[in-house]
Amino acid sequence: MAQRTSAKKTVPMYCYQCVAGPDFFKVEVENGVATRIESNWDIRKEHPAGGRVCVKAYGLIQKTYNPNRVQSPMKRTNPKKGRDQDPGFVPISWDEAFDMVGGKLREIRAAGLEDEHGFPRFAVTTGGGGTPVQYMGSWPAFLAAWGPVDQGFGAGQGVKCYHSEHLYGEFWHRAFIVSPDTPYTNFVINCGANIEASHGVVGIWREADARVRGARRIQVEPHMSITGAVSSEWVPIKPKTDAAFLFGLIHRIIHERNWREVCDVPFLAERTNSPYLVGPNGWFLRDPATGKPLVFDLADNTAKPFDAGIKRPAMEGEFTLSGIEIGPDQRQWTHDSCKAKPSFQKLLEHMQPYTPDWAAEECGVPAESIRRIADEFLAHACIGETIDIEGHTLPFRPVAVLVGKGIANGWGAYHCCWAQKMMAVLVGALEVPGGILGTAVKLVRPANPRVGSALPGPDGFMRYQFNPTSATDWMRQPNIRNAYKTLIPLVSDSPWSPALGPAHLPWLFLKTQPKGLPRIEPPDIWFCYRTNPAISSWNAPEVAKQLAKFPFIVAFAYTDDETNHFADVLLPESTDLESLQLIRIGGTKFNQNFWRHEGWALRAKPLEPVANTRDMTDIATELAKQAGILEQYVGAINKGAAGMSLAGRAGAFNYALDPSTPPTSTQVWDAVCKAASHELSQGKEVHDLEWFREHGYMLAPFPQIDWYLYPVMEKQNLRFELPYQERLTRHGQELAHRFKEAGIDWWEKQLREYEFLPTYERFPDIWLNYAREFGRDPAEYPLWAMTARSFQYAWGANVGIPLINEVANNIAGHKGVIVNRRTAKQMGIAEGEDVVIESVTGITEGKAVLREGIRPDCVLMIGQFDHWKTPFARDLHLPSLNSVTDISLKLTDGTGSGADLMRVKLYKASDRAKHGRPATA
Amino acid sequence: MVIDVNRCVGCQTCTIACKHANDTLPGVQWRRVVDVELGEYPSVERFFLVTGCQHCAEPPCVPVCPTGATWQREDGLVVQDYDVCIGCAYCAVSCPYQARTIAHDMRWYYGEATKQEEAVRHDERLGVAQKCTFCKDRVDEGLKQGLKPGVDPEATPACAAACISSAIQFGDFRDPESNVSQLIAGPHFQLNAELGTDPQIKYLYTTPAIPGRPGGSAELDEERLCDPAHPLVGPLQTLWDWRAAMNWIFGGIAAGFAVMAYLASLAGAVHPDRIPALHFVAAGIMAIGLFCVFLKIGRKLRFWRAVARPQTSWMTRELYAVAVFYPLVLANLLWPSAILSLLGGATALVFLWCQAKILHRARGVPAWRVPLMPWMLLATGLLEGMGLLALLLARFSGLGQPGVLVPLAGLALVAINAALWIAYRNTAQAEGIVPLARRVIGDNSLALHIVGHAVPALMFVLALVNPALLQVYLGVAGAAAIAGGAFWKFTLIVRAAYQQGFGVPAVPQRGSGTRAAPARVQGTPLRGAPTRMKAAAEQGSGSP
Repeated sequence: MAQRTSAKKTVPMYCYQCVAGPDFFKVEVENGVATRIESNWDIRKEHPAGGRVCVKAYGLIQKTYNPNRVQSPMKRTNPKKGRDQDPGFVPISWDEAFDMVGGKLREIRAAGLEDEHGFPRFAVTTGGGGTPVQYMGSWPAFLAAWGPVDQGFGAGQGVKCYHSEHLYGEFWHRAFIVSPDTPYTNFVINCGANIEASHGVVGIWREADARVRGARRIQVEPHMSITGAVSSEWVPIKPKTDAAFLFGLIHRIIHERNWREVCDVPFLAERTNSPYLVGPNGWFLRDPATGKPLVFDLADNTAKPFDAGIKRPAMEGEFTLSGIEIGPDQRQWTHDSCKAKPSFQKLLEHMQPYTPDWAAEECGVPAESIRRIADEFLAHACIGETIDIEGHTLPFRPVAVLVGKGIANGWGAYHCCWAQKMMAVLVGALEVPGGILGTAVKLVRPANPRVGSALPGPDGFMRYQFNPTSATDWMRQPNIRNAYKTLIPLVSDSPWSPALGPAHLPWLFLKTQPKGLPRIEPPDIWFCYRTNPAISSWNAPEVAKQLAKFPFIVAFAYTDDETNHFADVLLPESTDLESLQLIRIGGTKFNQNFWRHEGWALRAKPLEPVANTRDMTDIATELAKQAGILEQYVGAINKGAAGMSLAGRAGAFNYALDPSTPPTSTQVWDAVCKAASHELSQGKEVHDLEWFREHGYMLAPFPQIDWYLYPVMEKQNLRFELPYQERLTRHGQELAHRFKEAGIDWWEKQLREYEFLPTYERFPDIWLNYAREFGRDPAEYPLWAMTARSFQYAWGANVGIPLINEVANNIAGHKGVIVNRRTAKQMGIAEGEDVVIESVTGITEGKAVLREGIRPDCVLMIGQFDHWKTPFARDLHLPSLNSVTDISLKLTDGTGSGADLMRVKLYKASDRAKHGRPATA
Repeated sequence: MVIDVNRCVGCQTCTIACKHANDTLPGVQWRRVVDVELGEYPSVERFFLVTGCQHCAEPPCVPVCPTGATWQREDGLVVQDYDVCIGCAYCAVSCPYQARTIAHDMRWYYGEATKQEEAVRHDERLGVAQKCTFCKDRVDEGLKQGLKPGVDPEATPACAAACISSAIQFGDFRDPESNVSQLIAGPHFQLNAELGTDPQIKYLYTTPAIPGRPGGSAELDEERLCDPAHPLVGPLQTLWDWRAAMNWIFGGIAAGFAVMAYLASLAGAVHPDRIPALHFVAAGIMAIGLFCVFLKIGRKLRFWRAVARPQTSWMTRELYAVAVFYPLVLANLLWPSAILSLLGGATALVFLWCQAKILHRARGVPAWRVPLMPWMLLATGLLEGMGLLALLLARFSGLGQPGVLVPLAGLALVAINAALWIAYRNTAQAEGIVPLARRVIGDNSLALHIVGHAVPALMFVLALVNPALLQVYLGVAGAAAIAGGAFWKFTLIVRAAYQQGFGVPAVPQRGSGTRAAPARVQGTPLRGAPTRMKAAAEQGSGSP
């Protein structure tokens, strides 16, 4: 850096622009101007990636000084809303803005918090991956104070996340996110998880170490992503056929190899439901006295409850036994003598047809490759080996299977997630060193620490709060517009659940009222924070159309964008460098962020706002005051809605704020700093805001043993609920009864997804045949359109930052649509030529980027672009998959997710007229 | 510096960290990471290559610099003094790693300057060469504070410190115990090693699971090599544009003319007392070229600094030749003498040779750096000079008597030039001239042969066989010779000047199909914690 002589300071900060954060940096401030960003080296010994931040953090200064920022509150002057309407925004004072919004809030409270159909009048949407909460200050306290809020209007959830993995992952092993234990894992089969683009600094750091020490990764995906690039091997696979590939692997292991020799049989017998006997109706055969599932003990040839000290549990065969089965709605079968088989025997039979040769036909990966990859997996599994972790001896199984976006959501995702976990449990590699781990809990409570969420539930499994499906408790009348509690038992009911329901459905329901549900209308007021669903949703143009119908939108705005184009009021928030917040760090967080420390870090407001913006905490406080809920709001902060309870348990400490006085953001975060440091140090070190401003963070040791769920499972003698899905299927069948009783038939196909063991179907056909819904011939759309994360952009809300664009352009695909070189040649398309990508429902345009690392039947558009309003981004003229996908029940699976996938045709822009399009864009 | 190709994921953090640390302008990337693809579906490999100044042990940019602004420190860092540089771009076209650039004007990311950009603007860098400095200020400051570059991030170049995959390591190769020395104990390569620059960035490409293999840029087929968008293919240089070409064109004609006129005077074809005037004409033509090149340099008022490196820089020597030639011409006008004419002719020859060597030593452009290049420029200069002389003799009978000498000499020069060009073309591939440049050279050869060789040759022959129309033939021959010379020099400098690409001799063995890393079905030798984890544990704190 050049030497300068003026007043200069460096301020410690955190970056949480992606889900894989936080990481830490210092910003250099010279004469009140932020000049440069550099990693915070102070934390390099504790941070798992040596204290580094990634490319996105460096964009924050340009983000702050962006001349396109909304400079002050604005109000709409054109009452007409539409993409083609100029909103006519005019600057107003903060007082006027608060008056407008406050008036609306008071009006709603006076009218009743729910509309005549029982849905909240107040709705809010925030951006991806839970990162906004790291920036929204005390806004969660406002929401807690308000009352019923509809948080179910999605911004891309379900296709942009690992949706089914979130749900099944939490259910099976407290894994909202699944990660390999990269510091130990030596062999990974990765179906499309774009780790190097989405596992953040820590993921990249750990994976690079793993590669250099000799770990192998097989990347299975249609397009060679940056993750595929740095893997030992890239295996091109036909889109949406990963379940076939994974089933083929399982078949290889349990049928073609001798499973008794190559699998971790003790793990299967003791930590899974493999030995649980299954009765003739498919339900566990249970002990009539206790209701517990039975296991056949070969030691004395009797069936006993699973926890009755079984010596030699039978894993295969068929037994004639007595017992009861309990099906849906408490239906019970009593068997005096019936045939029963262990779950594992059912698995063996179920997987019999899924041979590698069958899989090869389905997925395009040669059978010999499938066999070899399964064999490599087994060769690396180290069955029988142990490792010492902090004095505890744990199984050492350094193998993992991962599933990515597009695989872990939409039809077939259940099959893939199940197969992923099955691969792990077959060799005992679930939640043990080297295997696959969950790193964050979002649906199960208590969530912190993660290992504390593994509490005993029924049948020797972990407790899991399904949304009720019984005749008495099923939520016939949805509480919010996406009907998550009504439709998806597995999504549970944590604060995260509404956004993990079928979050795209409200947009669809606004267009087409679903039969059997109360009338769905737009909320009276909708807030959006750090999100742009009119770009990021599937079928983004349709979302934009629906937004035009919303009567009152309040956007916490940064620049103009495609969503706040429809807003009534813009409230510009202070950006990352201009505002305060203390967040929890370390422990086990998303992706590969599992640490040996935990603690707190401050976003220290190194700059005064450069425009007439306000800190989100101050905005939240003022809105609470305006809405007449100040007392509840401060009460919520005191209870922990700003990240940390201000009053300790049993009076350990009390930094609570006075509920009758509106606190300033400084007061809020000063109190949070004190409470957080008090709790972390058990009262030994209490630090105020000023201390955190200087030091940036505070840490205490976090035990590595808590990275793994296995020890607490073993301690409580709990089993992973695999392979057999009795409980899930019961909920599914109950739900089917409820829908039938309610006369709802549009969720039938989704209900068929609930199976004891998942049956493969030709998932690609769902997308192939989608054209028929519109009376078109599938042959018109011969290519698969896909997307991939951009490391430089993902989650960063940085499409309007030229610096990011400049460096991202060094990576192929950022300038257009990736097309296989041979495919392009056959179509006469040249590098850089303007092309059109058209699906049965949408169209997008961009420049052709010719590459070899993509299947000839696929095209790929990186990131989420196609902006028409966001300054700078709109001039990039980049295509977006979101413009050609569709929101549809046909494309929605049983967990409420879809896949980021569409069938398209590709043609030269100069041929628009031939395809019935206007000759110019 | 050591870069591990296995580690790099193309995240661009080094690039952006460099931009922050060094306040570079939009589009200027001292540290650039490119995305490379090899092979054809379904056997494809993709890797990311960290590029930038290689801080060569034998840096081609240093000796060519006429001002001494570019120099090599004792510790090996190749550095740049902005206050001395005149922005001639000679270093940039001499670099075989596309590492240098010149920004002539301020530009801003949002079109207008932000407060940050104003606070970190570097006006001293406008119009002068710039490149990676290995963050020398940071390294030096760290050393002062007792820190160890490569170990302490505060004393390590920003890119290496920032790298989130530990792909970039910095250290001292002279210390056998240093991190970088340890890292290169195994297989590694240098970019474009065959050029003898001994780059001080060394690349690792092998791991236990992903062994390296020979290959890389050599695998690119003709189609890829002719794709300027391919990251391993050098783009067209644009720093030396038509203005630079004008210097070679006018300078070549002028110097060749001064030489040939003097030689003709010795042979009796030109009156010796006409030499002062003819040399004055040469000086005038030369001045046009020099003015063009003056227009091109970034810091015009500093042009005089180009006198600073006569020991190695042919550009400095060219300036010296100019500085001698003009006084000689003036003196010869005032006090005509045979000795001044001789000295004038000799100095012009030196000037011509300097120009020839300038292009030859610009090693960043394969089409320029071949051994034939100085001889081609010399021969062309003489032919053009002969052409101008023939033209003037045809027009001004009082200058002398061309006789058979001028046509014969002209024929000889045409033959030499044609032979050199044919040899140049025929050896182009073997000499490493890149396909894109070869394509331009090939596409323009016929025109050159017709205009620059066949027409003058025919005219010179006609002049011999039909002296009656000698003046006409000489005039046409002269004009064609000049046009041919100017044509190929312009072509070569402006249109065929593709830069050296990145020669990668080995790559990690990974990708799909036949490129995938070998399977490992028989168990694993890997066990337990990786090295870094152990190191962190030993420090008593670190998380792996």
